Amino acid sequence: MRKTVPLVLAATLLTGVLAACQGGGETTSATAFDPATCQGGTLSVLNQGGITHLDPARLYTSGGGNIPSLLFRTLTTRNRQPGEAGTKPAPDLATDLGTPSDGAKTWTYHLRDGIFFEDGTPITAADIKYGIERSFAPELPGGAPYLRDWLVDAAGYQGPYKQPDGIKAIETPDAKTIVFKLGKPEGDFPYLATATQFAPVPKDKDTGVDYEKHPISSGPYMVASYEQKKSLSLVRNPHWSAKSDTLRYACPDKIEVTSGLDAAVINQRLVTSAGQDANAVTTDAVVGPEQLAQLGTGSELDKRVARGEFPATTYLAFNLKKKPFDNPKVREALSYAINRTSVVNALGGSAVAGASTTFLPPQAALGYTPYDYFPAGAAGDPAKAKQVLAEAGISNLTIELAHENDDSSGLGPKVAAAVQEAFKQAGVTVTLTAIDSATYRDVTGKPATEPGLSLQYWGDDWPGGGPFLIPIFDGRQIITAGGNFNLAQYDDPAVNAEIDAINTLTDPAAAAKRWGALDAKIGKLALVIPLTHEKDVYLYGKNVKNAVPDGWRGTYDLARVSVK
Amino acid sequence: MTNPSVAPPVPPRARTVRHRLLRDRGFLTGASIALVMVVVALGAPVLAGAAGQDPSTYHDTLLDSARGGVPIGSLGGISGEHWLGVEPGTGRDLFARVIYGARVSLGVAISATVLQVLLGVVVGVAAGLGGRIADAALSRLVDLVLAVPSLVLSISLLAIVPTSWPRPALLAVVIAILGWGGTARISRGETLSLRTRDYVAAARVAGSGPWRVARREILPGLAAPVLTYAALILPSNMIAEAGLSFLGVGVRPPTPSWGQMLSTATTWFRADPMYVIIPGGLLFLTLLAFVLVATGLRRVLDPRQSEVLL
Repeated sequence: MRKTVPLVLAATLLTGVLAACQGGGETTSATAFDPATCQGGTLSVLNQGGITHLDPARLYTSGGGNIPSLLFRTLTTRNRQPGEAGTKPAPDLATDLGTPSDGAKTWTYHLRDGIFFEDGTPITAADIKYGIERSFAPELPGGAPYLRDWLVDAAGYQGPYKQPDGIKAIETPDAKTIVFKLGKPEGDFPYLATATQFAPVPKDKDTGVDYEKHPISSGPYMVASYEQKKSLSLVRNPHWSAKSDTLRYACPDKIEVTSGLDAAVINQRLVTSAGQDANAVTTDAVVGPEQLAQLGTGSELDKRVARGEFPATTYLAFNLKKKPFDNPKVREALSYAINRTSVVNALGGSAVAGASTTFLPPQAALGYTPYDYFPAGAAGDPAKAKQVLAEAGISNLTIELAHENDDSSGLGPKVAAAVQEAFKQAGVTVTLTAIDSATYRDVTGKPATEPGLSLQYWGDDWPGGGPFLIPIFDGRQIITAGGNFNLAQYDDPAVNAEIDAINTLTDPAAAAKRWGALDAKIGKLALVIPLTHEKDVYLYGKNVKNAVPDGWRGTYDLARVSVK
Repeated sequence: MTNPSVAPPVPPRARTVRHRLLRDRGFLTGASIALVMVVVALGAPVLAGAAGQDPSTYHDTLLDSARGGVPIGSLGGISGEHWLGVEPGTGRDLFARVIYGARVSLGVAISATVLQVLLGVVVGVAAGLGGRIADAALSRLVDLVLAVPSLVLSISLLAIVPTSWPRPALLAVVIAILGWGGTARISRGETLSLRTRDYVAAARVAGSGPWRVARREILPGLAAPVLTYAALILPSNMIAEAGLSFLGVGVRPPTPSWGQMLSTATTWFRADPMYVIIPGGLLFLTLLAFVLVATGLRRVLDPRQSEVLL
């Protein structure tokens, strides 16, 4: 996750994979939704960004993404259940979640029967191996970096175009079996296997960088036409069978994705829901204040909203290598001073953000363990902050806060101004440094250029504590070349050892408990100031049914909505 | 007039002008509104203090967080404490922000206008008096300035300068250097027509150098048209500042400006219409005031044109 997490966020936000929602807003009425009779119609997807890439090697998704998951089946996938139950993976192309052996250093999968590409060719283990190998090619950057770390001796692999011998650590003893050999125990492997890099790619159809113009589908839909960043038209894949795939309902006959629209326009179109927009959804335009003001008033719109939570935290990151943040008293004082209510309002109010005192967002699957070591209350405790500073002999503190120059990703001037005002109450002067959002992660992710204090966002690659805590607090993940997310540059051998120990666990519940305890332990050091966790509110058109947010990503699942 | 030995006699022309202006209802209305705005802008800290508010304090308790942060209460949360309500999303006092915003809007517009007039008159007079080559060169320069797409250029200029530079001063300079062409043209035209007048010729014959001619003979003659023009470009400079702040390259938050308020208001116009109406209405009122002043000045100073304008 280290190098590409800007891409995680970018790609996920763009493809709308980050979208998150909880259980609310279901349309379940007297008649239960029946996946057997939901087929028909054309679903419109109105998006701001996304569909920049369609190559399974280049997508960085959580749980296989929303749109990508219509095209690509993977070894495992998210189970698409609402709420807490939805934070678990389920077998997709494989018959089960994988069999660990050798202390979770070897993972073996068997493919199910009756799985075909869109041209009718049966999918084999070799196709999955080839798909993974392609994702190592420097020509196809962008995917999650985990496999490079995890597979034995794969870190230097340059992809099948330069090294056709492939990766030795992936074995395919027969057409239906695939075995992964890992360098160290990784209990989270079934979660990683939901990524699009685990989608099969037929070697004879691979056209390298041009493959994404028409990727060969293994899912219920295939590409009819695709214009990068603008439009994507999907039709049914005749060789996909619902018998082999009970997770995707594939209700609409056609799916038309339009990208490049303004969020306000998308939401207004969904509110109006006129014409074809009655069949419309969005995977990346969270509602704005205009719509929120109309919600909860008993209007018809209240029935057309999906609320969920994608595990993500907006926080202030200290750089401990820079004064005065090497001083724990300064960090503690600022933790007391923060006014989380202002930050929540700056992000769009309590419907779309919740105050957080923990770094882990409040999902049990991540091991959420409540703590509040520097209680700031709802509106900050400037008196306590002043007292801590005075005790430390610090007066007239002036600090710099780096933020993005626009508000679209929630790290912009609005939130920065709210933080500035809260610290001002504690007698701390904050000067704001706006950095172009396109280069923000480059600047903050390089220890040489990293500011002392910056606004940050972290979203989970899968519902587990590992992908949330490892990149931020594992001392071995400090990357001086750039792409660093351990912004505190914190390196504690005891913490690193605990991370390794938790990674050996194959029981997610046991692992979650220890991730939570680790978060609660690190929290005492005030390396970050957690601000808010994400909540997502998505509207959908009048004709859209079964728009139930899944617990993994929070937003409704395109593979399950119906417009019939 | 009073005793001439105490106060020097007002020249007859100036007296007529003042007399006529004071009878011009449009001018008087415009001038009084503009004067109030300037006084409010200058006295913003005092006024905000009188209201017991400041432009930066957040009032989270006045917002309905569940509905996106709209102010609680009618008309954007107008109350005895918050005379114009509060800003949605932050709860900052709108009255304080509006009057502090007036400082930026008026300050930038007035400084930009002064700079434009200075630059324009210098170049215009130099072109008018400077002989054929100087005239040709300077006139082409003016053409260039007039032809530059100023909005696009100012956006790029403002986007590349470091954020540490003082924003309002920078805005004034950028607006001025991209907008002095009109003043220069008018000054040049007027200079060309004045230099052929007998009294200018007489001054020359009497041995006055070009500097002296420009100062003593030309500049007084330029006062009327340039003043009128300045009153006309001032509102357009205000619009420019509002536009640039609207586009996010103007003053930096938390410094308030009307344009910036209108920009954030775009996402609130249905949920909290007052947040659009207040800064928008004030911007409109101020612009109207300056336009009234400009037309009034023109009517009085340039009777030939008065029919054309109104």
